[in-house]
Amino acid sequence: MRAARVTVAAAVLVAAPWIVAAIAPGVQRYVLHVLIFTSLYAALALSYDLVIGHVGNLSLAHPAFFGIGAYAAALLGTEARWPFPVSLLAAVAAAGLVALAIGVPMFRLTEHSFAMGTLGFAVVVQVIATNWVDFTRGPLCVTGIPKPALGSWRIATLPAFYWLGLAAVTLVGLFYHGLTTFRLGRAFHAVRDNETLAAAAAIDPLKYRMLAFVIGGALAGGIGTLYVSYVGVLCPGELAVSLTVNLLVMVFLGGVGSLRGVLVGAAAFTALPEILRMAPTWRMVIYGLLLLVVVIRWPDGVGGVLRRRASAS
Amino acid sequence: MEDLLELAIHGLTLGALYAMVAAGLALMFGVVRLINFAHGEFYMLGGYAFWYAYRELGLPYPVAGLAATGILSAFGWAYEHTVIRTILARTWHVQLIATLATSITLTNLAILVFGTQPKEVPTALSSTILEVGGVRLAWQRLVVLGAAILIFAGLEWFVARSKMGKAMRAMSQNREACAVVGVDVQQVALATFAISAALAAAAAVLVSPLFNIFPDVGALLTLKAFAAVITGGFGYVRGAIAASFLIGITESLAAGYLSYAFKDAIAFVVMVIVLLVRPQGLFGRRIGI
Repeated sequence: MRAARVTVAAAVLVAAPWIVAAIAPGVQRYVLHVLIFTSLYAALALSYDLVIGHVGNLSLAHPAFFGIGAYAAALLGTEARWPFPVSLLAAVAAAGLVALAIGVPMFRLTEHSFAMGTLGFAVVVQVIATNWVDFTRGPLCVTGIPKPALGSWRIATLPAFYWLGLAAVTLVGLFYHGLTTFRLGRAFHAVRDNETLAAAAAIDPLKYRMLAFVIGGALAGGIGTLYVSYVGVLCPGELAVSLTVNLLVMVFLGGVGSLRGVLVGAAAFTALPEILRMAPTWRMVIYGLLLLVVVIRWPDGVGGVLRRRASAS
Repeated sequence: MEDLLELAIHGLTLGALYAMVAAGLALMFGVVRLINFAHGEFYMLGGYAFWYAYRELGLPYPVAGLAATGILSAFGWAYEHTVIRTILARTWHVQLIATLATSITLTNLAILVFGTQPKEVPTALSSTILEVGGVRLAWQRLVVLGAAILIFAGLEWFVARSKMGKAMRAMSQNREACAVVGVDVQQVALATFAISAALAAAAAVLVSPLFNIFPDVGALLTLKAFAAVITGGFGYVRGAIAASFLIGITESLAAGYLSYAFKDAIAFVVMVIVLLVRPQGLFGRRIGI
């Protein structure tokens, strides 16, 4: 029964471009565009939740890793003309290495200080992206970023990008599931729930925190690559702190540390503003208030509320 | 040489600004163990309150300044009463995200109400230049430094001598014991927030004639002030003030001699270096204001 449902859901997701074309031919392009953003945001939110939901480190540096990957891919693609798979790998490696390097001083900090320190790092990365004009072109933006291509096979149409996004979120989802479920996942949760006890059981907290932080950062870098290759333009504003706020809303609304919760949160929060068509400033006001209410009233998110209700009945 | 002196004085002004914000942040952490991510927004709101009283209502500078400080002190009180009280007993995750959410909401509300165009509030003193032996500086900077010294002296006296200050120090050591011996812990928390918000507003009143007021001025300021709090040793008010001046002067010198564009990154560079050498902060010790 469960397997059948999963198969149907997967089939619907894969066939979405045709379904959209059949149901709403007029707005097909727009709907696909929203779906691509949803898949990329969902993958990014999952990579973020690896750090905050599973090892319990409230990192606010995620836009920085996303941005480092995005800039690496954008500059390698336009200036150096590297082929897409190579620049994707380079972007993942660059974001992962920076996460490792910044993790060393940051993990000396705990709790709030870690959050603030990582937020500071995110601000520094944005300052560099804006001001190092010779390298990043600053506010002039990197333009003409090539579409993904493997040899002669190019991903240039909207459905192709949609499948790429779907593949990305599936891969990240499987990776997320694999990392957080088995032995490694239990170690992550031990570190999150009781650091002292974990250390006493020979689980080195720093090692696991660092592992989740670096993997999360590297994945964010890869998603940054996909993002810029889809959009084609990269400006320093993409790295802004507001991205962290969006991610926090997605993760906390859906349910911290839960694959399904984060996916639901990401889908709701990419699609909802498109449907409601609000001015961005109003949207941020509403996001802020929503985040405040959700985190106070339902700290484990809508997913947690539903779970409790299901187990109560 | 004149350059160096001028930059150093600019750095002291910046340091005074960071110190007034960081002192409030450290005070809050010391007393109620909470990091207020929305602290920079107190500065921002203080700036707008001052702009409204000074430019729109045309009140004289000291009156407008005191009014803005008073209004923000009431705002800090109300903020404790509504948001902070509900999250004090919760985990630090919840506290951090709730105050971050407050900060986002306030910043974007300010954009809706006041627009993104920066507000200028020049005073007579901010355009009068004092020239001593080749060093040129605005009188307003001297006002900032003088007022900062008075404010920090007042704060020091308040925390050391007044009844409420003693209650704050007691609470920073042991909240339960305070409640047991009859200290009204909620009243102390309210007072802490009112004072911290007033400090941030006072900084805005003093400094905004030199710098402009804009809706997201608070975000970077919270970060820098927090960097100062970490650098100075967590929750230690004097340490935070000293570290603020260190960061202010370093930032000013770096902006003058190295690169103006990257000056905003300096606070974090200082913080990271200090943390690598002394993880407990420059004046690190156990928590206590």
